Amino acid sequence: MAHMTQEEYKKNVREVYRTTAILSIVTIVEVVGALMYEKYALPAGYPRIVLSIFVSVASLIKAYWIMAVFMHVNHEKKGFTFTILFPFSFLILAIIAFSMDGSNFGELLRNINSLH
Amino acid sequence: MATDLTKTPNLEPHIEIPHEETEFGISYGKIMMWYFLISDTFTFAAFLVAYAMQRFRQADSWPSSNEVFQSVPGITDSGAPLIFVSIMTFILILSSVTMVRAVQEGFMKNRKGVIMWLIPTILGGMAFLYCQYLEWTHLMHQGMSMSFNPFSGMEGVEGPVNFGQFFFTITGFHGMHVFAGVCINIWLLIGVINGTYDRRGSYEMVEKVGLFWHFVDLVWVYVFLAYYLL
Repeated sequence: MAHMTQEEYKKNVREVYRTTAILSIVTIVEVVGALMYEKYALPAGYPRIVLSIFVSVASLIKAYWIMAVFMHVNHEKKGFTFTILFPFSFLILAIIAFSMDGSNFGELLRNINSLH
Repeated sequence: MATDLTKTPNLEPHIEIPHEETEFGISYGKIMMWYFLISDTFTFAAFLVAYAMQRFRQADSWPSSNEVFQSVPGITDSGAPLIFVSIMTFILILSSVTMVRAVQEGFMKNRKGVIMWLIPTILGGMAFLYCQYLEWTHLMHQGMSMSFNPFSGMEGVEGPVNFGQFFFTITGFHGMHVFAGVCINIWLLIGVINGTYDRRGSYEMVEKVGLFWHFVDLVWVYVFLAYYLL
């Protein structure tokens, strides 16, 4: 990386602290939200999938900020960013697919007597 | 040979390291570190996918994470779900922040600044490992192991034995990565103190180790998500 000027350095430092604040707030909201939902909404009959989507989205937000600012992906060339993000998107698809497959398999096992 | 810290090391760049510009505009070393991280991501993703499949297949008998992980070592034994693991998450995120600051000081070729920010990173990593050790021993005292699961699922159904197997394997692999990261950071700190990177003319090694450290943090975010929140 080429030599930075004092202003660029100060700007980068500020950006890091701003990102830290964002990550902390997202983590707190995620944990408090999950606890509140577990305690109040789940017993009242709200679906569990809403909680799952909420925490998954919060984790994706955290992953974005860590990768973009801390790991510098924001400042890399577009082609390189693409080579990194492309495999990750397949991973996310795989996780979703396998989780659904697992729960479907569980359903089948539970209803094994009534299958035929 | 002990390093005499009172003498200023020879900091003049006098080693020629060929630094080729690649198509992507960054060095080969950094690209390789990124692609290694992607391959390591596949390893952890494989573990987490296997965990997700088994967990949802046995959704009835899987123990509720709020009941299993509700202690804060040293303060309380129950009634505080998710608190201790949130503290661990914060420790790791903060150590990532200090690592980024160390990398930025490296860009400015500020040797003392890099040292100042690497030390809290190493301490943060060690604190995380200590917390993980506390969590493990607490659960093992309650009887959880690779062959027995004392926690029961919904309505008292006996919990499956692979709960403990998945937990200790996945957090163990992650802890191993944190330990390796702490060791590499210590090696890096010694190199910075000795003036190796000033002689080399570039603090890029700090950046590459930083990438690994952030990867470890990211994996923890997802292990935390999978095990404690979903």
